[in-house]
Amino acid sequence: MNRKRIWVLLAVIALLVAACGSSDDSGGTTTTAGTETTAMTETTAATTTSSGGAETTAAAMEAPASILLGAVVPQTGPFAGGGAQVMRGYQYAVDAINAAGGVYVAEYDKSLPLELILRDDESDPNKTTSIMEDLAGQGITVYLGGFASPLHAAGTAVAEKNQIPYLGVATALQALHEQGYQYYFSPFPKSPDIAKSVFEMLNTLLPEGGRPTKVGIFQEATDWGEELGALWEEEAAKQGYEIVLHETYAPGSEDFTDIILKAQAAGVEALLSLPTPPDGFNIYKQMGELGWKPPFNLVVRAADVPTWNDLGDVGDGVVLSAGWHPDLGYPGIDALNQRHIAEEGRPADPVVGGAYSLVQIVADSIERAGTLDHQAVRDAIAATDLDTVAGHITFRADGTSPIDNPLMQRQGDKVVLIWPQVAGAGEFIYPAN
Amino acid sequence: MSRSTPPIVGWLVVLAITIALGLFTGNERLLTLAIQTYTLAALATSWNILGGFAGQVSLGHAAFFGLGALLTRELWLGGRPLPLAILIALVVTAATAAVVGVPMLRFRGIYFSVGTLALGVAVFITAGNLRPGISSLPAEALRAYEFQGRYYTALGVVAVTVAISAWLRRSKTGLGMMAVREDEEAASATGVNSFAHKMAAFVISATLAALAGAVFGYFSVSYYPQFPFSVTWTFDAITVVFVGGVGTIIGPLVGAVFYVVGRDLLSSTFPEVQVIVFGVLFILVVLLLPGGFVEGGHRVFAALSRRGTAQPTGSRAEGERETMEGKESV
Repeated sequence: MNRKRIWVLLAVIALLVAACGSSDDSGGTTTTAGTETTAMTETTAATTTSSGGAETTAAAMEAPASILLGAVVPQTGPFAGGGAQVMRGYQYAVDAINAAGGVYVAEYDKSLPLELILRDDESDPNKTTSIMEDLAGQGITVYLGGFASPLHAAGTAVAEKNQIPYLGVATALQALHEQGYQYYFSPFPKSPDIAKSVFEMLNTLLPEGGRPTKVGIFQEATDWGEELGALWEEEAAKQGYEIVLHETYAPGSEDFTDIILKAQAAGVEALLSLPTPPDGFNIYKQMGELGWKPPFNLVVRAADVPTWNDLGDVGDGVVLSAGWHPDLGYPGIDALNQRHIAEEGRPADPVVGGAYSLVQIVADSIERAGTLDHQAVRDAIAATDLDTVAGHITFRADGTSPIDNPLMQRQGDKVVLIWPQVAGAGEFIYPAN
Repeated sequence: MSRSTPPIVGWLVVLAITIALGLFTGNERLLTLAIQTYTLAALATSWNILGGFAGQVSLGHAAFFGLGALLTRELWLGGRPLPLAILIALVVTAATAAVVGVPMLRFRGIYFSVGTLALGVAVFITAGNLRPGISSLPAEALRAYEFQGRYYTALGVVAVTVAISAWLRRSKTGLGMMAVREDEEAASATGVNSFAHKMAAFVISATLAALAGAVFGYFSVSYYPQFPFSVTWTFDAITVVFVGGVGTIIGPLVGAVFYVVGRDLLSSTFPEVQVIVFGVLFILVVLLLPGGFVEGGHRVFAALSRRGTAQPTGSRAEGERETMEGKESV
């Protein structure tokens, strides 16, 4: 091959790679605000006070046409399934709040609609950060996060730098709350909650002697994987379980045969994992091909997406920990659930409720703050004391929230709430195989 | 006035403008774009030394960029002063390149490219396994984050990189590299130690890539340590060099401005189709200007000169003549 041809070939490859994976691309943008879709400003200068009829000076302040919520959510890539639920939750809440008249902001003496700016980070944490920098320049009041800890881990640092409040669900990484961040709030169960609740649930719902005591862990080689893997080990020992296998794999691996066979050989009765959706599908598909499935399976994150049902029998009976369920009975769930059933043909997916609650928290905080100032809104969020579709929300100093960690089980085409055993909870089916 | 005077004046004007930019604008978005441009320009310039001067097409360049970012960031966040952290990163990267270069440079042509690609991918995977967690600045540092120091660090790095590249191009070593690029056997026959020249290009190029990586590690608020090892960085650099002009000094700079600014403009104006539009733009540039923007500029300048009275056609800037493709089109 002569040199000129090599250069041309190289140029074509370079262009393809650059076009597909540029390091700082911004994803697609969608803005939705019910009736208003632009960020134009308008003035309230002509209004008069009700008491005296004199023109107020405060009313001369320009009010934005809407309150901008900057949401960076994976719409493509491995986390797209979870991202779709997050987007639905945000959109439903924005629509509901706007339909009720919007959010009253005292400094403008008027109610403003919420406007959701949705951007796709393609499940790439490096794009999350660059898109968040873009959004900061657009005058957003808060950031709303996407799905999965790697994306939140990247985004929260940008929020802290820009000193703009950031709210996120579908992230259990406790370590993020130990960084001293002041602008990050996450009313979602964290790794210690997940590690504890699974063994509590087993000990409560199954009789002694009938429990799966030999535990296996499939841990991905990520920060969250390391955190939860260690906590599972710790909690298992405390609650009378034996860890017989703890295997680590790189995210994006395609062949899990080796660790599956090791788990089978070790006699694993309870398999705990936290894979990305593609990895989770591969693991369980290959377990099906190998004809092995333990009696108890906890699949955090991957099993949250509705397409998990496509796995058939091998995916059935899997327990998931997605932070919310429509049968929890909190106020507002019915309306949310009815819309979800009407549009999607099934009860609300597990992440939808948590995402919905974030917008409720933002609206309430802005009303209490009476301004769109970032610091004031941040302080109001920290002081939240609100009933939402995800339960009663308050925040600890580290931005976490003292909330239950509901566990669900996939039973056929349904996702059944099995823990805690509240009024709407169903029966836990064990063994799953 | 000597023929080299206008380029020197031009460089000084550009330097004055870029220094003033940091002093007189507080626009963080603009400064961010500038820092991204400088980082990519430095990386592309470093690749250009190995690929453009010495003709060794490396596809594993991101390994050195990533190493510079990783070492600088970890040492700096570990409490070392930034200059010391960068210095250690450069020394370690240069030593690594010298060791890796021995087997790699035994390969020639496409085999060298494939070998470096394999190296890059292996290092990328290893980095992800060794450093799976996010690397974010501490909360206090985030809230006190300032742009100006980072801007001038990036500007200094690109200035150093370009100065070394320009000096090298005119040096005996640089001429030896270009001789090896044109015909390795012929160069050896005339007394040029081809392996030593390729090794020099490899080590200098890797070290300057690490310097660009150091800027990335210092500037970035939050990223997964594996990211700067991604092959994307290698191909970004190659794209920039191609668009700007292979084997030239200003080509990587022009290419980086076009790449970063163009991408940003398109992402804000055509967010849904920006990748396709940008890809088409690049293909057009490569097809219509095989020698990149520098070659295009030369053509325009030559055409204008021919229309003028006394200017001979060979009035292109000295030192921008010996591009690999440009030579053929002269």
